Amino acid sequence: MESITQERPVTPAPVRSDPVPSNSPASTLKTGWFIEWFSHWSIERRVLAGFGLVFAGIVVISTISYRNTTVLIENSRLDTKSYELVQLLGSVEDALGSAESGHRRYLVTGDESYLTSYQAVVERMPEYLRYLRSLTNEGGQQQDRVATLEQLIARQLEAEAGAITQRKKHGYEGVRHLALSGAAKNEIDGIHRLMTELDTVEQRALQARVAQSAASTKNTIALLGLGAFLQLILLASVYFLIHHDVTERRRVATELQSRGELLQAANKELEAFSYSVSHDLRAPLRHIDGYAALLSKAAGEALNDKARRYLQTISGSAKQMGQLIDDLLVFSRMGRQDMLHTTVNLDQLIKTVLHDLRLDLQERTISWTMHPLPNVSGDPAMLRQVFINLVSNALKFTATRPEAKIEIGVAKQSPSEVEIFVRDNGVGFDMQYVDKLFGVFQRLHRNDEFEGTGIGLANVRRIIHRHGGRTWAEGALDQGASFYFSLPLARSLR
Amino acid sequence: MTTVKPILLAEDNPRDAELALAAMEEHRIADKVVVCHDGAEVLDYLYCRGVFASRQQGNPVVVFLDLKMPKVDGLEVLKTIKNDVNLKPIPVVMLTSSREECDLAQSYALGANAYVVKPVEFHQFITAVKELGVFWGVINEPPPEGSDRYGRVPASVTRKPC
Repeated sequence: MESITQERPVTPAPVRSDPVPSNSPASTLKTGWFIEWFSHWSIERRVLAGFGLVFAGIVVISTISYRNTTVLIENSRLDTKSYELVQLLGSVEDALGSAESGHRRYLVTGDESYLTSYQAVVERMPEYLRYLRSLTNEGGQQQDRVATLEQLIARQLEAEAGAITQRKKHGYEGVRHLALSGAAKNEIDGIHRLMTELDTVEQRALQARVAQSAASTKNTIALLGLGAFLQLILLASVYFLIHHDVTERRRVATELQSRGELLQAANKELEAFSYSVSHDLRAPLRHIDGYAALLSKAAGEALNDKARRYLQTISGSAKQMGQLIDDLLVFSRMGRQDMLHTTVNLDQLIKTVLHDLRLDLQERTISWTMHPLPNVSGDPAMLRQVFINLVSNALKFTATRPEAKIEIGVAKQSPSEVEIFVRDNGVGFDMQYVDKLFGVFQRLHRNDEFEGTGIGLANVRRIIHRHGGRTWAEGALDQGASFYFSLPLARSLR
Repeated sequence: MTTVKPILLAEDNPRDAELALAAMEEHRIADKVVVCHDGAEVLDYLYCRGVFASRQQGNPVVVFLDLKMPKVDGLEVLKTIKNDVNLKPIPVVMLTSSREECDLAQSYALGANAYVVKPVEFHQFITAVKELGVFWGVINEPPPEGSDRYGRVPASVTRKPC
């Protein structure tokens, strides 16, 4: 038993991660509070924080990757448009060129067949222009340039159409000054400049986008790599945390088990001890009392009063010790016995207690006041012992009163527990010794005043404590005493 | 009854045995008592072997059995008696100092007929032993010899005129 009490308490130390040692004192100061703060976190909170970080990382990486990919897709769409635009610009330039040369050849030769190719170009032009507009419909300077281009082209074709009409009416002479250089020389130059500009700007934009796409792809790959690395580290930390915790728990469980086994062994030993006390200590007492009786019988008349009194004292002492052993055994049993947790009807319990004590009540004038008591939660046999001890005490210490007054009732009741008192008008006690009342072998009266082993109230306290209640007492010399105890109420009453 | 059946007292402690005998003496039944000092001796008596090989046949009227005895303890003796077809009908009274619940439970589980805690006080002890002796040795009618393993007596035995 001693070896058990000397060991450390069995409650497991809180699981805590080892603080990371830091090199510089400044960072120790700075990270110190963080580690302190973190070490107060429960394992669940830490694991949750770890997984939260991993999740946040995934969200951030996904968002950025999504945005990058959207840019890439948009760029590739614009690229396609740009390539088409560049190609279309070539076609338009070719068409305008062939229109210009076609009309010029007609002006010079008057050959109608040249007019057909010119007409073909003029007819296709609105379609070209529509296409051109659709490729540059996203605003910006390119759209403005296309608008200007359209006007110039319209003016070119208009001038050329005018020249052709002139040629038809007045013959070659009418358009001689136009025939060599063409009807819309200025416009054609403007168109050519504008087209080159359009082409250059588009090519530049294309190159810029290609560069942007490449950078974006590179960023995405780097981000994904870094993210994966960080998440791996986070997950590894979380794994470490969980692993550490599980190992610790397993260790504590093993330790608890081994301690439980030790405790069980100690309890067994204690049981064997009290068994031995119960059996072996009683036998010699029985012999003392028995042989004293036999001696008194055998010697019979030969004994004088003094000798007879000695023998009586021997018997009395043996009996007293027998009582002491019995009480101690009950006390020890109350401490280790398995406890029931049922609903106990206290009113009923007190009735049976009074029935058991009826022999002590004979030839006594007692005025009982019994208030109704609630049902409590506990062990019926143990609570019975409580009332037996308290009522026996009340009876014992009122023995000198002509009329004993004993009252049992509820002092206070809260939603979860009840305080019960047992009051008597007996000899009472001095409040300065109140602390000794509930101790084992503590007595406030001499043995020749009131009999007793000094275990009754200790037993009451032990039982009430096992029920999770408290015990206390009030009294004054010669003014009676009140003993209080609290008990948890039966669940149905809460 | 022509032969007086003995009371078997199993008690390892000679003082307890003497006190018990003194108690029975008061009621003049001490001469019927056979005292055994350990469990092995009890079994020797019951099976008529060892020092009891030459004893008169027949079972005792009752066995008073102490729990704690050297060699073979009370519970083992009880188990042997209650597992033997011929010995089973013998009433067995546990007479012990132990008030422990496990002893009580075990004794009754093994088939004890009664369980008496020896009182410390001699007068109570005397009263208890005397009453036990009178009840089991005089008042109680012991089972007839020859009852079967369930304690039932064959018809031929019951019909025999006493």
